[in-house]
Amino acid sequence: MSAQSGMVDPAIFQDLQTRVDEDAAVRDELKDLVQTLEKHNRQISFVLSRAHSTPVSKLSAVLEEAESSAEQIVESIGKLSQSASKLPYYKFNSLWSRQVQDAAFNLLFWAWLGGDQDGHIQGRLLTIEELGIVLKIPVNLKDRDEFHLTIEEYLQALISLVEELARLARNSVTMEDYERPLLINRFVKDLLAGFQILNLKNDSLRRRSDGLKYRVKDVEDVVYDLSLRNLIPKKSEEK
Amino acid sequence: MADPKAEQVSLSPFMAMFEDFRSNLDEHHDRRERVIKSSRDITASSKKIIFTLQRVRVLGCPVPQFAVKSNAQYWETIGKHIKGLGADLHGVNAYRYERQVTGGLQEFIEALSFQHYLETQTLITYEEATARILKMGELSAPIHLSPQDYVLGIFDMIGELMRFSITSMATNGKIPTGKAKPRKPKEDITEEQPEDRMDIDNEVSLSSESQKPRNVLDDLRELRLALEMFNTQGDPKFGSDVEKKMGVMRECVDKVEKALYSLVVRGKERPKGWMPEVQAERRAEVSY
Repeated sequence: MSAQSGMVDPAIFQDLQTRVDEDAAVRDELKDLVQTLEKHNRQISFVLSRAHSTPVSKLSAVLEEAESSAEQIVESIGKLSQSASKLPYYKFNSLWSRQVQDAAFNLLFWAWLGGDQDGHIQGRLLTIEELGIVLKIPVNLKDRDEFHLTIEEYLQALISLVEELARLARNSVTMEDYERPLLINRFVKDLLAGFQILNLKNDSLRRRSDGLKYRVKDVEDVVYDLSLRNLIPKKSEEK
Repeated sequence: MADPKAEQVSLSPFMAMFEDFRSNLDEHHDRRERVIKSSRDITASSKKIIFTLQRVRVLGCPVPQFAVKSNAQYWETIGKHIKGLGADLHGVNAYRYERQVTGGLQEFIEALSFQHYLETQTLITYEEATARILKMGELSAPIHLSPQDYVLGIFDMIGELMRFSITSMATNGKIPTGKAKPRKPKEDITEEQPEDRMDIDNEVSLSSESQKPRNVLDDLRELRLALEMFNTQGDPKFGSDVEKKMGVMRECVDKVEKALYSLVVRGKERPKGWMPEVQAERRAEVSY
């Protein structure tokens, strides 16, 4: 009975309980959407992983198959964006940030392989703005509080891209493609140069980007091995 | 910038993009640093306020002049920092630095609710706390006080109530108790809902004495109950924070119960009419 005797107005905790419960309900709804996105991310990376064992001449089939997965990603991000834009962005972004990073990476890799263009020309980087257009979401929003792709998420995706390309450089050699490692070599060096001008604080971006130089070195080693054995095609030899 | 870097700038086609990222990230880190600094300063000032408030010995009236005087500067410092936070925590960034600001806000709630309790013997409401933040920072848009920060601050405040009661028992030989009839009903009308609640309650819980004023232990138990009933499912982080504080909170209530127990049981050894207040050795027995 003392609960009513006066110190605590029972309405205080009832009201707070309601607020916390409402947030929990929102979180549940978002979790479902994020899980769908996760499923589509797995799907496209399953398809794209064949790039490591498919020569460039036969890559078109893989890229076209990936395109339908990419569309699913765009669709599930669209749904997420719709729900999330009603909410304060940074209150819930930890729920989806990881999957948005993965989606960004998958589409960057797909585009690097040439998937977003008719000619399938490889080696292109989607800028954050271009990626935003592909995903149909705004990027780096500052003036309004809606769903968007953050710079941090894009940078995380770039790091994943470098890691994937380092792997692709080795696997290209296995497929007797001696040209692609050179392309990759130049590309990852350019990205590393970009990362080097960032003032990163001690966060996950910093820790992961510290590993970039080793990936770049991995690619360099591949190029070194090729040049040592005179396998580098003359026309695209590095300056 | 160092020379080798400048060389790379000219080579990489992505440089313009990364330069833009750099300025954005720098802005973000600067903002983050400012928030951390403010949060720390709010924490420090709140602790000083609480420290002074622990020298107060009466319950249910405005804090004495010495406390008002010595705390004025700290409230002012807090206000200044809240104002600064207001500039950084708005729009899309309203929740961005929650993790950095939460420490300061919790400590602030602890100080605020403790003073509010000393003055009114009631728990400050979430709305009152939010309004206070708005007013102190002279803000047009409030910085967000999350329900979680409020609850966690209240958990911490219980530790202060424990200290307050124990010190009081050790020095005065009795547990701090609210002002009896003249003040209390008046406050019940203003601070709480129906005044007829008093009567119902007295009928149920008190048989011999009527209109018995509440003491701190009554309030602690009531607060403990309210906090124990709070359901934190669905917010795992909040749940684990609460779990940590729950143990400490229970210990605090236990300590007061034990202290009151020894006060009562040892009081019985004394000859009749020998009031605990006049007794100097009491200090040693329940010292904290």
